Amino acid sequence: MPSLAYVLRRLAQAVPTVLAIVVLNFLLLQLAPGDAADVLAGEAGSATPEYMAQLRKSFGLDQPMWLQLLLYLKQVVTFDLGFSFRHGMPVSELILSRLGPTLLLMGTVLTLAVFVGVLLGSLAARHLNRWQDNLISTLTVLAYATPVFWAGLMLIVLFSVKLGWFPTSGMQKVAAFHEGFAKVKDIAHHLVLPAVTLTLFYLALYARLMRASVLEQASMDYVVTARAKGLTERQVIRRHVLRNAMLPVVTMAGVQVGAIFGGAVVVETVFAWPGLGLLAYESLFARDLNLLLGIFFVSTCLVVMVNLAVDLCYSMLDPRIELR
Amino acid sequence: MTLQRLTRNFLALAGALGLTAIAPVLAQGTPQKGGTLVMVVQPEPPTLAAYQSTAGPVGQVATKVYEGLLEYSFDLKPMPSLAQSWTVAPDGKTVTFKLTPNVKFHDGKPFTSADVQFTVMDVLKKVHPRGVNTFRAVTAVETPDPLTAIFKLSEPAPYMMMALSSYESPMLPKHVFGTGDIATHPNANRPVGTGPFKFVEWQKGQFMRLDRNPDYRKAGLPHLDRVVARFIADAGTRSAAMETQEAHIGGFNAVPPVDVKRLSGLPHIATTYKGYEMQAPIVQLDFNTTKPPFNDARVRQAVAYAIDRQFVIDNVWFGFGKPATGPISSNFKANGLYTDQVRNYNVKNGVEMANKLLDEAGKKRGADGVRFEIVHDVTPYGEEWRRFGEYVQQQLAKIGIKATLRYEDVPAWLRRVYTNYDFDLTNNWIQTLADPSIGMHRLYHSNTIKAGTVFVNNSRWTTKETDELMNKANVETDPKKRAALYHDLQKRIVDASPLVFVHELNFVTVYNKRVNNFPVSPLGLYSAMDTVWLAK
Amino acid sequence: MRDAFLRFVRHKPALVGLVLLVMVVIAAAVASLLYPGDPFRIVGKPFQPPLTDFPLGTDMLGRDLAAAVFYGARTTLLIGFAATLIATVVGVTIGGLAGYFGGRADALLMRLTELFQTIPFFLFAILLVAVLGSSIGKIIFAIAVVSWPPMARLVRGEFMAMRNREFVQACVSMGMGHARIIVVHILPNTLSAIVVTGSLMIATAILIESGLSFLGLSDPNVMSWGYIIGSGRSVLRTAWWICAVPGVAILLTVMAINLVGDGLNDALNPRLRQL
Repeated sequence: MPSLAYVLRRLAQAVPTVLAIVVLNFLLLQLAPGDAADVLAGEAGSATPEYMAQLRKSFGLDQPMWLQLLLYLKQVVTFDLGFSFRHGMPVSELILSRLGPTLLLMGTVLTLAVFVGVLLGSLAARHLNRWQDNLISTLTVLAYATPVFWAGLMLIVLFSVKLGWFPTSGMQKVAAFHEGFAKVKDIAHHLVLPAVTLTLFYLALYARLMRASVLEQASMDYVVTARAKGLTERQVIRRHVLRNAMLPVVTMAGVQVGAIFGGAVVVETVFAWPGLGLLAYESLFARDLNLLLGIFFVSTCLVVMVNLAVDLCYSMLDPRIELR
Repeated sequence: MTLQRLTRNFLALAGALGLTAIAPVLAQGTPQKGGTLVMVVQPEPPTLAAYQSTAGPVGQVATKVYEGLLEYSFDLKPMPSLAQSWTVAPDGKTVTFKLTPNVKFHDGKPFTSADVQFTVMDVLKKVHPRGVNTFRAVTAVETPDPLTAIFKLSEPAPYMMMALSSYESPMLPKHVFGTGDIATHPNANRPVGTGPFKFVEWQKGQFMRLDRNPDYRKAGLPHLDRVVARFIADAGTRSAAMETQEAHIGGFNAVPPVDVKRLSGLPHIATTYKGYEMQAPIVQLDFNTTKPPFNDARVRQAVAYAIDRQFVIDNVWFGFGKPATGPISSNFKANGLYTDQVRNYNVKNGVEMANKLLDEAGKKRGADGVRFEIVHDVTPYGEEWRRFGEYVQQQLAKIGIKATLRYEDVPAWLRRVYTNYDFDLTNNWIQTLADPSIGMHRLYHSNTIKAGTVFVNNSRWTTKETDELMNKANVETDPKKRAALYHDLQKRIVDASPLVFVHELNFVTVYNKRVNNFPVSPLGLYSAMDTVWLAK
Repeated sequence: MRDAFLRFVRHKPALVGLVLLVMVVIAAAVASLLYPGDPFRIVGKPFQPPLTDFPLGTDMLGRDLAAAVFYGARTTLLIGFAATLIATVVGVTIGGLAGYFGGRADALLMRLTELFQTIPFFLFAILLVAVLGSSIGKIIFAIAVVSWPPMARLVRGEFMAMRNREFVQACVSMGMGHARIIVVHILPNTLSAIVVTGSLMIATAILIESGLSFLGLSDPNVMSWGYIIGSGRSVLRTAWWICAVPGVAILLTVMAINLVGDGLNDALNPRLRQL
């Protein structure tokens, strides 16, 4: 069992990673031509050079780069993510308002994808090279290779426009402004289509990984031993094969958290889901540095924690793995 | 180009020719009270500070909350709003506004001439992107009594009377915005105005909610209980939301032109191209006229001849547009400023003409048929521009110009085209707005060559004569003489071809037939919508 | 090796996949023979459905979709394979070393992996393309940069588990060199996972490219399947074929790559067939 000291050490180790990411992205963004003042002027329609200079000064863009970086790092160390000049709001407030919807979508998708993927993957492995296997393989690859925006739009056409079962987009019904339990139901109703669209994409990965993994484990010596001990096939699979086969799946799930966290840009765009991915995407093209770095910072912290959790899961699934 | 560049996102399109048959549904029957009107606004505005951003999405929301001194009729005539009457002195240098009495801001405080003075002198003249120019002649606003505001001008400013709508010049409460730094005011996103709807909340990334103002100055109005602006980033989804009636109205091509045709076939959907008369956008190609090859007028004219305008309208903008003849939109036919008596580049044998001009200019074809190579920048405001760029690339190939396309994001493109001038040819669009003096001069006058200022003279072509014509037109109060100045100007500009005038872009508004009384003014979605009502 | 080859050709789906893949490669090879000239050229009336004047119809500017698909095969294959190759080499090296040696090397390499992996990958790809520019080489680079961390983590997980297996422990106690243990004993045992992940990675690279194109971040001077889909997206409901034609091309290619991957997997790991 991993000790508390281990967890704390891992968290301490994460600090430089987080800072390195902030610095890397900060420097990368410096390479991008144009700045926030250009964008604001572009949107506002026009601006005098004096006004632009004043904007840059109030954004701190007139400072030398290294000073901007130092000031930013100083802020971040105290968990102050700064101010988004574009939105006229503190970055933390903006991120917090999007974190809930993001986690909701991400959690739902990951749970669905892992659960259904493991189920289909083991099913395919059990029926290796028979029609069930082929059907599952074909369908999951089909789902995976379909461009997400196309799948999303087709689901909207079918389930919203033609059948009228689900709303096209958004997170709540704006004509109603539900409260209490009705609001929860309303949000769940809006969640269905985006979650399904994204799950379809991630499903294939887990199903295929699980299938390969089950097959690999099933051929291991310990399984042969277990069979020889006279355990039933069902017991072998459940107690030994599935447990070990979950390892790569858990690894992948850990990896995917980071991806889904900000990688749902397309689904968020199609379904107007108020997630962080879309916010980050918009802030990149608006050169809203504080906001974009803030999102990178938060997502970094989140993934660090998830990776830790994955490693902890490892040691529970396979006690032979030492946590050092 | 002042008007919000981002509205072009995804689909800058225009309804016009093809849609003339679909007239707006006129108000019928008795207005019904109540209901929530859901607008799709694209993209989500960055702020609600309508006094320092002319961004389209800001205007679509803020004009329900703030009001202006004037409104406008479809023939571009001023109408009363917060000002119930006005007089312009014979010398054109004094304009007196009588304000509408008993108007209250949403916080209960009265609206007075002090608010007008504050808004014009301390806000619009200083931080509004166009206000700086619009009110440049205003030296003082006098307030002899709470309901009289007298504008003192250093010279006549006929264009100013066209720029007093709630969209161009929103009137702010001095007691709210008078304290603190206006550029970063905390009330920017919590607007307090005199309009028919009060700001309630803004859930970033989702919606903005405005509720009925029960103390609105017009008794019995507005009809609606609530207006909600929804933000849906994907064009296909916006169309679907209109289909399922989750949203009731969307303009500035929130619904892409290609879907407009499909949606207008549905029984519950209506479309209109009215309500954009004060935008008058023109699609164009900007040359860098300060260096070869486009410092030669013949080369520029050749490119202008090579573009088949009708092809662009039909295939890039799906039929929503009208060939442009010059720098002023044909919308200004109404007040006589427009003329089509200029050099006509939209001819059948355009490619032939172009090749001849290039030969004359000494740009000989090489062994591979190429005269010279350029980079063609594509304005990053949506896929139409990219398709337009691909079309231009193909047409230029026909006249021996090898163009490589370059596609960058908004800040990079703005930097390149308006600060570094590091380009050969870029596609673009500008709005000639309510008056050429506000919308058009900035592209041709020598005093608008300002590195770092966006949407001004980036081709950097100027002549003494054209500068002079614009200076005169600025202060000419006689409509006939002013029109003559503009006719001369158009002729000269079109001849020199510092830009290629491709077509006039008309936007389309798609709305649910339950929506009544829209549009009621040339400002369309930029109007207060106090008389709009929703059939049950 | 001969056995593996025989097992592969006996695997019917894998053969089907291989045939499909070869067809795509041939399409890419003969593009300029079949359709000389620029695939962006406007050749006919826009919006012609398939099987009219043009076998696959035309797009919204009147360009021949068949020509576009043939030329697109080049770009798409190039991006898919090049990006995956770079990402796999980087990922296996980093993941393998980390998993095998553990300890400080592991901590350091995983920190590096974490660094690249915590950045939302699609967003990071967008950022890279936005900063570097959207030429095809830079797009491949951006896709490779965001693709390797999952591979590294997967390989590390496998190596960690393998490191504690009896046979590896035995090799270590026999004094066998690290390089030999890794290459001869561990790597072959993790190959199936690498192949499975790698095959999906090619597909992912193709899909990332299409995602970037969808957002307008493709090389505007090169025809790719992603670009055609991205540009046809707004007419999805009025001219289905513009998205469907390259969409099916991507689908078939991805499927082919996967089938071949599966075949390789089964061929290289004969014991798997005994379940």
